[in-house]
Amino acid sequence: MTRTVEFTDTEFMIAQGARLMEDGKSIFVGWGIPQIVAILAQKLYVPNVVQLFEFGAVGPQSVLPFVRGTMGGPQNTFRSLQWLGMNWAFAYSASGYMDYGMLGALQVDPYGNINSTFLGGTFEKPERRFAGSGGGNQVASHCWRTVIIIKHEGRRFTPKVEFITSPGYLTGPGAREKAGLPRDTGPYRVVTSKALFGFDEKTREMTLLSVLRGANPEEVVKGMGFRPLFAREIAEIPPPTEEELRLLREEIDPSRIIIRGERMSATS
Amino acid sequence: MQGNVEYRFEHPDEFRAYVRDRKSRKPADKLCTAGEAVSRFLSDGDYIVYDFSSLTRGPQALIREVIRQGKKDLWIGAEFTLHESALLTGAGCASRIDVGFLGYGSYIGQAVCDGRVKVYEWTNGGLALRILAGARGVPFLPTRDLLGSDNLAVSAAKVIEDPYTGLPVCLVPALNPDVAFIHVHQADPHGDARIFGTNLFALEAAMASRRVIVSAEEIIEPDDFRKDPMRTTIPYFLVDAVVHAPFGAYPGAMPARYEIDLEHVDLLNGIRTDDQMKKYLDEYVYGVADHEEFLDKRVGSSRMRELRRRASIIEGYR
Repeated sequence: MTRTVEFTDTEFMIAQGARLMEDGKSIFVGWGIPQIVAILAQKLYVPNVVQLFEFGAVGPQSVLPFVRGTMGGPQNTFRSLQWLGMNWAFAYSASGYMDYGMLGALQVDPYGNINSTFLGGTFEKPERRFAGSGGGNQVASHCWRTVIIIKHEGRRFTPKVEFITSPGYLTGPGAREKAGLPRDTGPYRVVTSKALFGFDEKTREMTLLSVLRGANPEEVVKGMGFRPLFAREIAEIPPPTEEELRLLREEIDPSRIIIRGERMSATS
Repeated sequence: MQGNVEYRFEHPDEFRAYVRDRKSRKPADKLCTAGEAVSRFLSDGDYIVYDFSSLTRGPQALIREVIRQGKKDLWIGAEFTLHESALLTGAGCASRIDVGFLGYGSYIGQAVCDGRVKVYEWTNGGLALRILAGARGVPFLPTRDLLGSDNLAVSAAKVIEDPYTGLPVCLVPALNPDVAFIHVHQADPHGDARIFGTNLFALEAAMASRRVIVSAEEIIEPDDFRKDPMRTTIPYFLVDAVVHAPFGAYPGAMPARYEIDLEHVDLLNGIRTDDQMKKYLDEYVYGVADHEEFLDKRVGSSRMRELRRRASIIEGYR
């Protein structure tokens, strides 16, 4: 029986991010939304995922509800396998132990290059300044597959990012290797609040793979700062399930500070 | 692409000579007030680093004391600099920041846009590696990140051909700060210190820095460390001053001791203008003589009791 599900764009983004994770694999989790994605995934789909935080938590299993503003506190380092420091955390990714990395982004381009540093002007005299890399550069450089999570707002998709904070495929095929980045690494998926993108194996360009059920692919890409490639068949992504929404709303973020957003609906 | 920007560096031999001549291996009572520690060991123009984050086990009592003493022209090596960079910049103490992660809020972002503070991008991994190099007594360490990114142009990282693989590899220069601030769970009067939970680079920063100020929630006996050496994070001979600072990480959390004060953190996050910054600093920093008066008059015992009560996760911390 189908019914109409109501949810926010943030909830959809988190839910489809969680569905991408693989059990028995490892994931380097960036700060912010990726933390919520990893928590939801571990609760629902991938109990044996090994999370890693740059602030030295190996294999943590967050307590709920998620406490905003915690960074290395007892809540998000709870029940870890190991506690250590940042140099060791990045050793895990640099030596090849991190299958996935998950990062938020301010701006992304067709090659999956991420800008999180500034918008407008120059680095020395920016119009708007943001947090910058943190450990994002290491995550995008070292992890085998990087997943980028970003709100589906047209201006966030730009033909060329103003500043490469964290490397995607740089200028195209072979560019990462040429720059000296570890072989066979790079962006894998871009999860947005409307769609899912991958990267073309040959050209390394961002490719639309699927859209929220009921959404028109042309409508989805309209307004993006560049036109992505289209997969031969565009699949549909089911809206958040009851269980995903229940966990997000009742257990993970009952105050709904993180999961709030633009209202959406789709048929289940 | 290589950046041609200023960066803090000293020859490893100069640092070694400083350690030989100026870091005493003799145990001595180093207990003092935050005021004494900051005025004695921090000078205008110094480079400082700290551990951990603004939200967890940050040396907030020491940062407030730096502001109270009106230190000038500081250069901060900042990984998770959510509030410190804003406060130190707003108070006119900091002129340069190596990041890291330059959060929160629009105050610090606006200060960068206005050119009131210079920022250099090393990334978290790059800064941590620089401090490790400083601790290991080598002039640089290689890494396989930063490569291909624009951070290279706005830091002094260099790309060379790796003599072993023939591939490009990134080098970051050692960082030997003037002063490290490290807030810990337990310390003894000599400076032996314990941290429970994760950290950024507490030991590396203590080894790499010329002067180390430890602030501690609790003061314990030197013999406690000898009985349980696996738990020593920092040995005394790296440390120059020990400050007893209960609630020294406030408004951030101290794992297993007290929780974050989100209301106060929101107050900090809400600072947008110079007027709001001045009001905050007047109220919470300049308006009190020291950390004790801050806790007494601006936080209050019932609030502290409540934050202690909320720190219900004890497992793993001891």
